[in-house]
Amino acid sequence: MVQVALKFPIFFNFLIQWKLKMIELLMRILVYGATLSGIYALIASGFTLIFGVSRIMNFSHGAFFILGAYFGIALIHGIGLNPYLSIIISILIVGLLAAAMYKSIISPVREHEVMVIIVTLAFALIVEQVILLTFGEHGISFPSVIEGVVIVGTVLIPSMRLFVLAVAIIALIMLWTFIGKTRLGKEITAASQDAEAAMLMGLDVDRLLIVTVFISAILAALGGVLYAQVYAANPFMVLKSLIFAFAIVILGGLGSVKGSIIAAFIVGYILTAVIVLYGARWSEFVALFLIIAILVLRPSGLLGVKEQ
Amino acid sequence: MKILSKRKISRREYLKYAAAGVVVAAGAIGGYAAWQSTRKPLEKEEIIIGVLAPMATRQGSVQRDAAALAIEEINATGGILGVPIKMVVGDDKLDPDAAVSELRRLVTVENADVLTGGYSSGIMAATMEPMAELKTVFLADASSPAHPAKVAEDYEKYKYWFRITQNNGASFAFDMADMIDMLRGKGVPVDKIYIIRDEHVWADDVEKFFNPLLTERNVEVVKNVKIPRGYTEYEPLIIEAHDLGSQVILPIVALSGTGDVLAKHWATLKLPVLLAGHDLAALDLGFWEKTEGACNYYIFIADGGVVQTAPPTSVCTNFIENYTKKYGHPPEAHQGYGAYDAVYLYKMAVEEAAKAGAADPLDSDTIVKYLEKLATLESPVELTRNIAFYPPGDENKWDHDLAWGDKYVRNWISEWIDGKWYQIWPEDKANAELKLPPWFK
Amino acid sequence: MNKCLKSINFKDKRILGILVILFISIIVSRFAPDAFVYILGLTYLFIILAVSWDIIVGYAGQINLGHTVFVGIGAYTTALLQVPSRFQGTFFEFLSEMPQIPIFASILFGGIAAGIVGFLIGVITLRLRGWYFALVTAILPFIFIETTIIESEIFGGEEGFSIGLERALAPTSLGKYYIALALMLVSVVIMFTIVNSRVGLKFKTVREDLNLAEAVGINTVNYKVLAFIISSFFAGITGAAIVHYRSTVSPGLYDIPLMLLIILAAVIGGLGTILGPIIGGLIVYLTRYWWLKGAISAFTVAGLPINDDIILYIILIALAILAPEGLWVKVRRFVSET
Repeated sequence: MVQVALKFPIFFNFLIQWKLKMIELLMRILVYGATLSGIYALIASGFTLIFGVSRIMNFSHGAFFILGAYFGIALIHGIGLNPYLSIIISILIVGLLAAAMYKSIISPVREHEVMVIIVTLAFALIVEQVILLTFGEHGISFPSVIEGVVIVGTVLIPSMRLFVLAVAIIALIMLWTFIGKTRLGKEITAASQDAEAAMLMGLDVDRLLIVTVFISAILAALGGVLYAQVYAANPFMVLKSLIFAFAIVILGGLGSVKGSIIAAFIVGYILTAVIVLYGARWSEFVALFLIIAILVLRPSGLLGVKEQ
Repeated sequence: MKILSKRKISRREYLKYAAAGVVVAAGAIGGYAAWQSTRKPLEKEEIIIGVLAPMATRQGSVQRDAAALAIEEINATGGILGVPIKMVVGDDKLDPDAAVSELRRLVTVENADVLTGGYSSGIMAATMEPMAELKTVFLADASSPAHPAKVAEDYEKYKYWFRITQNNGASFAFDMADMIDMLRGKGVPVDKIYIIRDEHVWADDVEKFFNPLLTERNVEVVKNVKIPRGYTEYEPLIIEAHDLGSQVILPIVALSGTGDVLAKHWATLKLPVLLAGHDLAALDLGFWEKTEGACNYYIFIADGGVVQTAPPTSVCTNFIENYTKKYGHPPEAHQGYGAYDAVYLYKMAVEEAAKAGAADPLDSDTIVKYLEKLATLESPVELTRNIAFYPPGDENKWDHDLAWGDKYVRNWISEWIDGKWYQIWPEDKANAELKLPPWFK
Repeated sequence: MNKCLKSINFKDKRILGILVILFISIIVSRFAPDAFVYILGLTYLFIILAVSWDIIVGYAGQINLGHTVFVGIGAYTTALLQVPSRFQGTFFEFLSEMPQIPIFASILFGGIAAGIVGFLIGVITLRLRGWYFALVTAILPFIFIETTIIESEIFGGEEGFSIGLERALAPTSLGKYYIALALMLVSVVIMFTIVNSRVGLKFKTVREDLNLAEAVGINTVNYKVLAFIISSFFAGITGAAIVHYRSTVSPGLYDIPLMLLIILAAVIGGLGTILGPIIGGLIVYLTRYWWLKGAISAFTVAGLPINDDIILYIILIALAILAPEGLWVKVRRFVSET
């Protein structure tokens, strides 16, 4: 190597430049990928949580995701509320909306799986249409709570991305602690492992379910708000985020929150890597394709439990 | 027990068939009743203008509102040839299926005499088929060169189509080349550009004309990035544009829907690269608010031939004023000018035909003839813009397309400056000077 | 009345039923406005979709949320066979010189292409159970939609492309209507026959209890894949027919709202029967594309953010809550109790 370098100084120089460029590219993928992954982890874990406890496929999960963003935007532009407050209030609104929706629409049809899909999908499509009619089909972005860029080495990173990453991680840690350490969290875990046994032990499974729905929707809404800050909210995200939630959740294994989070990071990084290295148009296609390929090899996902 | 179950089966089967029959019959009766109630005898008690566009979008709803205003004005002066006009509306929902069935409904059930509308090129292509089948004149929007090409290839079938709302998309290339010339003229060196474009075929059509113009000017395209609808990862692209040494990031977008994110990211990074090109998102009076001012210094070419702060004709000024008075805000999109002009142009064609003694001035073939006669390159019609159509046999296959040029309609070069949208070029029509972002040296 | 019906043979009643439907359909087409006839024809095609979905879900017991993939494949296959010039300038340029293919052959190819893809998907998703299967099939349409956008020179991107009026099923709405009707009757009869044959019995066994089926010696893998092939073939034929009906093709045929309508039609009608999805299909499609139209203008004038899609979905949710086992079962129960 050294001999080659001595003989061809230009080549050596090129190698260094190339290495620096690679490092910069890697840094960019690392940071941008983390932001996207964090947001996806929020959506996916929420979806898994509900499924784990109740075996319910909530097809309106994507709607909660984007409603977090839209309620926030409506609060800011409509009442002039400051961004921080609107984030908090809008995710709470979405959580309550989800709980109400569960009680009124999903509960009555709980026993019939296909009906649950129909009902939640119809709800999601209603939300998509209402958003389309109210806000139009072009995206709306959420006013940023943080401005400016941070320079790490030679890489420019908008501060907003770091903020989003931080918030996502904090939320995930809080979720993890809640599930692992608090009593409610443990009850939820118990119910998801065996609902009947949990009931026999005196746990109010129905109440647990509503709490789970509430938390799951809040996570999704938070994801949506963060997403809209870095990117923009548009009505197509209702279904798009749902599809990616599916993909991530089955990759990670249905019912495993840990699996969902890991899978979210995998998918987020695949998407980002493809965008940065190859081209934007291929990113979603490649990601979905890879996920299906992985599933063919591991039909229960990475950390999933075998379905009966 | 056996007998009982048999009975149940037979009743069930019977009911199934009966139900099917009832449903179909009910549908038929319902449809027939609806048909009867809307069908009017053929002696003209009113002229019916149909508006077919995606009503959930501002580009669609503005067409309905602008046409309604035009119709109101005309009816106040007695209508067309003394006959009042009625408007019927169809919503294509940006879905070819819905568009085709709505067009059929407007023409065969609502008896529309003429149609205006459109927005998406793909939908327009789909609707040209029933338009041709039902032989109804369609004064249209959308920008694809494929539409006039159809007229060129089969005139007798597709001649009912005219493009009135904005220019052929390929002509954006001329405007953008003009924009580059302008920048250079004002001392901004432009020799490397970074293109961000929609994945869609419409951008292909623009590039076909744009690339030779760039070569002529010795402008190098350092990279050409295709983005899908809803794409939002602009930061890496902006940074890359700067790394590759380009002075201008040139968007050719209309469908991505995320122009506000592009503006936001560009303003956040504040790299010494200009943002100048075609972005439908910027062509929105609410864009400043949507981007919280991040779009300041965004240079873009404005479809439809009207920059709202600098109306090109007095008819246009009056239209904007009356529209604002009626609806509380200026036209939300440039399609409004097209729809307004469509109604008036149709009126003029009908009147011309009647004056010349045509047997049925509302007959579609007759209207086609008179539209061709009225709006010519030699003498365009002055409405909110100066309308002229290229005649059949056009060398570029732009038959019945809206004529492009300073004398006619073109995408004026405009810019967002300090909260307002100004026209900065050509000089004689400008109402502001080019302003460069302070971080661009 | 009942005694009279009892004495009629089951088979005769079916034929009677078909004749009744035919009769009514013909009467309708004579008197209804052109726009309605157009929609009714599309409804017949939609019915094939609902019935073919029932084969996978109602009979073979697999919740396939990606049925629209086959519709789209059938559609694009025939569209590209009809307009091979779209291949010019691409990797597949050699195809662009193809001679003109007759319409019905083209539709058949659409069905075959979909059937092949159905086979592949059946094989690939073999090891997936339950919800994994459902979710993976839910993702598939998106992948296909992405391809139409990425390769937009060939597939026409988001808005698709037109195949020209001359390649329509028939030159008039009435003609198209009759051909759609014929296509539906033929397809439904074929599927009905399959389902009531030994093959159908094996499907039902696999649906009811996988382990039992295997214990009895049924090769469940083969039957699952077979169900896929049949279901996808008919969906493909329909997709192709739709393209020749509307003279255009677009990725909307892959999309979720269509999937929801199909699910609805089959569920409302009653899964696991053939007649159920037929009636369900009629109700759902006509409601969505015809009957709701008048109701909506009242709302939009009021300025509320409502359109016919929203009303449809609301009705849907209400129906689902009122009759979670499926509307048909409820009606049947009601009727048999009186």
